[in-house]
Amino acid sequence: MPMAAHTPDRKQLAPGRTAEGAPGEPVIVFDHVSRVFGGRSGEVTAVDDVSLTVHRGEVFGVIGFSGAGKSTLIRMINGLEKPTSGTVTVLGEEVSALSEAKLRPVRRRIGMVFQQFNLMHSRTVAGNVNYALATAGWPKARRRERVAELLEFVGLAEKAKHYPEQLSGGQKQRVGIARALAAEPEILLADEATSALDPSTTSEVLSVLRRVNEELGVTIVAITHEMEVIRSIADRVAVMDAGRVVESGRVFDLFSRTNHSADAASFVTTALKDRPNAEEVARIRRRTDGRLVMVSLRDAAAVSAVLGTAGQRGVGFEIVHGGVSATKDSAYGLLTVSLTGEETAVEDFLADLGRAGDVQEVQQ
Amino acid sequence: MIQDFLNLDWDYYGPELWTAMGDTIYMVMWSFLLGGAIGLVLGFVLYTTRPGGIFANRVVNLAINVVVNLIRPIPFVILIAALQPLTIAVVGSGIGNTAVVFCMIWASTFAIARIVEQNLVSLDPGVIEAARAMGASRWRIVTTVMLPEALGPLILGYTFVIISLVDMSALAGIIGGGGIGNFAIVEGYNRFRPAVTWTAVIVVVVFVQALQLVGNWAARKVMRR
Repeated sequence: MPMAAHTPDRKQLAPGRTAEGAPGEPVIVFDHVSRVFGGRSGEVTAVDDVSLTVHRGEVFGVIGFSGAGKSTLIRMINGLEKPTSGTVTVLGEEVSALSEAKLRPVRRRIGMVFQQFNLMHSRTVAGNVNYALATAGWPKARRRERVAELLEFVGLAEKAKHYPEQLSGGQKQRVGIARALAAEPEILLADEATSALDPSTTSEVLSVLRRVNEELGVTIVAITHEMEVIRSIADRVAVMDAGRVVESGRVFDLFSRTNHSADAASFVTTALKDRPNAEEVARIRRRTDGRLVMVSLRDAAAVSAVLGTAGQRGVGFEIVHGGVSATKDSAYGLLTVSLTGEETAVEDFLADLGRAGDVQEVQQ
Repeated sequence: MIQDFLNLDWDYYGPELWTAMGDTIYMVMWSFLLGGAIGLVLGFVLYTTRPGGIFANRVVNLAINVVVNLIRPIPFVILIAALQPLTIAVVGSGIGNTAVVFCMIWASTFAIARIVEQNLVSLDPGVIEAARAMGASRWRIVTTVMLPEALGPLILGYTFVIISLVDMSALAGIIGGGGIGNFAIVEGYNRFRPAVTWTAVIVVVVFVQALQLVGNWAARKVMRR
């Protein structure tokens, strides 16, 4: 496919996921960024002293409840919003200091997809993609071929002459992605790209985004309130709450951790539903009088091996809550188990379990 | 009744009616073209200079709003009278069809400015944001996003305005202009010939229907519905 010709070797472009795990060069740097909105009813701090770095080739997720400041954050990357204080540096340019006119060339290197697709209704599917190319100054002769190539990439070649209103939500978003990729951007911003879609079209759009990252080497920043999005495409994630980044790190680490900070815990717990809430603990207590512990499956095989030895050691165990899910590159999960048996045997068993995964006592 | 129409001296009224129709078309067409163009620009300025707009400018926005709000409510018949000194200065004469056109341009400009603004306000701001994110310049956004995206409703708005221009042109007679309105009053009403007045009514109704049909057709074609 000609598109691949534009794409240098993936390993060079996206070392963020090489075996060594060495990150690529920083392409987006937030340095103590705050954004305060002034209103008649007082000031609102949408983004509060955020510092973070996105590396070339990675998929960086930002998750949080609505109103957490994610939208403002992502809009500062292409200068649609300006910080009140701090600096945002993108592709070597300090975008937070650039005028609208100076921002234009930088914006052409950054694609963006939107929750509501934001396609032009007066243009066809091909016309919408072509518009992005014309805006980026591509010569007419090259546009036609590029439009066909992009629609092929998102699987909508046969819809080229349709108008957006004739498409389903998932198809519209794929047009949005084709348009955002038109001028070969280095960064793609996804602003709640799947939030207006149903679950099956969500996975259709997520798989296109994953290909954008893996096949084209485009760095992606995705903001979302859906854990599913983070789980299936992100390498690293930042959890936002009330304008602050309360937790960040590799997706697997975040999901398999039992000791979240207080702020992050509320979101992660709600979103993952991986640990029993107080009501559920009470219900479990009524059924079993065993010792309740949560085990995180950082290494599912090791945890399974330890659990398998329970019988021979005189420890009875029952899984009472939790489950295992897959992220982009590994399985994670949090199991709540009830243990019965000799006090010393249980302690011994827990020590072994602690070496295989993180173990945390469930509060009574 | 039908006999009244047949008994009219068509050798006289026929050419008179033709001339009147020509005058009406002259007045409506020129005020529509010029008022439509100036109004389009003003409407875009009103919309884009709003707070949060791509050319946000409170002073300009407020100034134009005040002017529009001052002139729009003036009844057309009073506007004609009030504009007299200006009409004489610009047109060279305070009477006749061209003087009427000058007054109609004033009225249509401000009516169209509001209609254009209202149609632009209902544009999806997300589409404009998407164009900004692509690196489109502000002028480019005006001409390649706002205008085509709002075109269907704009055509309907312009159709509404052209029909009210036909209405305004009927007052041309008070400053010596011609047109169907003048024909109906001078030849019909003043001479107690209801059949002549009714002839003018029929002509105007047909004329307005034709304009509305063309407007609806064009808007439907643009919106593909």
